[in-house]
Amino acid sequence: MMRAAILFLTLLLTVPLGAPALAQQGVVPPPPAEKPESKETVQSDISTREIAIESNFTGIEILIFGSIDFSDARTPGGGTYDVIAVVRGPDEPIVLRKKERVAGIWVNGPGKTYGNVPSFYAVLSSRPFRAIASDETLKELGIGLSELDFGRHIRGDSEEQSFRTALIRLKEKKDLFQEDDDGVTFIGRSLFRATVALPVNVPTGRYLVDVYLFRDGELKSESQGTLQVTKAGIEALLYRLAFEHPFLYGLLGVALAVMMGLAGWYAFRRD
Amino acid sequence: MFQIYLPIAEISVNLLVMLGLGATVGFLSGMFGVGGGFLLTPFLMLSGIPPAIAVATGANQIVGASVSGTLAQWRRGNVDLQMGSILIAGGVAGAIVGVLLLKVLREAGQAGLIISLTYVFFLGGIGALMLWESINAIRRARAGKPASARKSGQHIWIHGLPLKVRFPRSRLYISIIPPLVIGGVVGLLASFLGVGGGFIMVPAMIYLLRMPTNIVIGTSIFQIIFVTAIVTLLHATLNHTLDIVLAFLLIAGGVVGGQFGVRAGQKLRGEQLRALLALMVLAVAFRILFDLVVRPSEFYSIIPLTGA
Repeated sequence: MMRAAILFLTLLLTVPLGAPALAQQGVVPPPPAEKPESKETVQSDISTREIAIESNFTGIEILIFGSIDFSDARTPGGGTYDVIAVVRGPDEPIVLRKKERVAGIWVNGPGKTYGNVPSFYAVLSSRPFRAIASDETLKELGIGLSELDFGRHIRGDSEEQSFRTALIRLKEKKDLFQEDDDGVTFIGRSLFRATVALPVNVPTGRYLVDVYLFRDGELKSESQGTLQVTKAGIEALLYRLAFEHPFLYGLLGVALAVMMGLAGWYAFRRD
Repeated sequence: MFQIYLPIAEISVNLLVMLGLGATVGFLSGMFGVGGGFLLTPFLMLSGIPPAIAVATGANQIVGASVSGTLAQWRRGNVDLQMGSILIAGGVAGAIVGVLLLKVLREAGQAGLIISLTYVFFLGGIGALMLWESINAIRRARAGKPASARKSGQHIWIHGLPLKVRFPRSRLYISIIPPLVIGGVVGLLASFLGVGGGFIMVPAMIYLLRMPTNIVIGTSIFQIIFVTAIVTLLHATLNHTLDIVLAFLLIAGGVVGGQFGVRAGQKLRGEQLRALLALMVLAVAFRILFDLVVRPSEFYSIIPLTGA
């Protein structure tokens, strides 16, 4: 967090003076402007591009920052521009089950399979994103929890709908799905920032960070960055061992237990 | 502060809470002379560790706890190696069946339910029996009558089975089939519930095989090392559910707690100890049953599809 803050401050100081320098560092070069009269483009980056989960990991807050080049805005966040940032973790298949009462006890009923559910998904916007762009535009860009299809066709069926709602609710409860209507803040005429909290149970893998710039409901520019979440240190070693050499890992567990048992007996023996 | 991330369970737990949990269970198991798995695994599940990981890691913890216990028993000459090897043979077979069964159930999303139901059944049954027995013993002691002596030399159906072998240490001449079956059932429970199975094995060997109690306890804890070691290996290999970091914390706490438990246990009388243990076993059974019966606050649950 400290590092992110320093990074941001440095950026704040350098950007108004050296915007072209930043352009060279940008993750993705800005796409060519479509109209000659408004050629604003967005550039963005992430405070931490690699997140290492170590034994003291309890979650992390990342900062997404960026600037609008050739901004027409007169005042900070004057309403000329809207920014939406989407952070999306790797997709994974899951089964969702609902408990049913059978003979007095609560039992998991038959489940529904969802082929690709984002392991993490956060939408941050400078104001409620439904008001920023039309439903068609949002749908096309895949912005918003309601636009996710999870790899399963659901039309009208009320049972399917309640499963889907439950899936979103469960992921939201674990902070793995987030929608933040004022997560993006403008600083100055062209600079913006957004923070997103990755919880302790954050899934590992490659994350995509898409930043969209809107003006009057129209998509003007977008910028994409990536973020890698990996286990590091001894956690990574143990995790790899457990999945790549499980037998060895099991032996290690048993050997550790035997040695600790012996040590305990030796330390406390009374003869 | 003191939060530690568990690499396999993929959650962050409090270091002190887990050490304390290990120590508490170690204390109780040292006090009552039981493995403590039947307390540890449900406690782990209640503290948010996924059931399958709680079972595998619980089994690993019991390996550590029973090594200390076996050494103490071995010095008193209470381990019957011959009987122990037959129990282990049965136990390994049972463990393999149990681990495979758990794998199937996990994929069907029913592992938590079946583990809970088996716990309720065994803990409820054995807790009730133990309570009944110990209350009677306390009453008899109050009335000034001596505790009923074990009737030996009775002929029951078990003595009619073939494949008879002499067990000099246990002073028995019996068929190897009953110890194989007992070992198998205990192995199944060990892999399925993350317990050592002492709470089944000890009464079965005393009442069915009529082995001397001290040899039963020594031999039971000896074979538990091997069965739980096999269970740990199988779970680690087939299900990837062993969390070594968690096991380390639990064993570290358990080894220390166990020693104090043994000392505390020596100050209480046998039937009082058994009554206390019975009450605790029943309490755990009721707690698990309660969760199964009460209307859940969340009906839905997400299960990741692995290997898809």
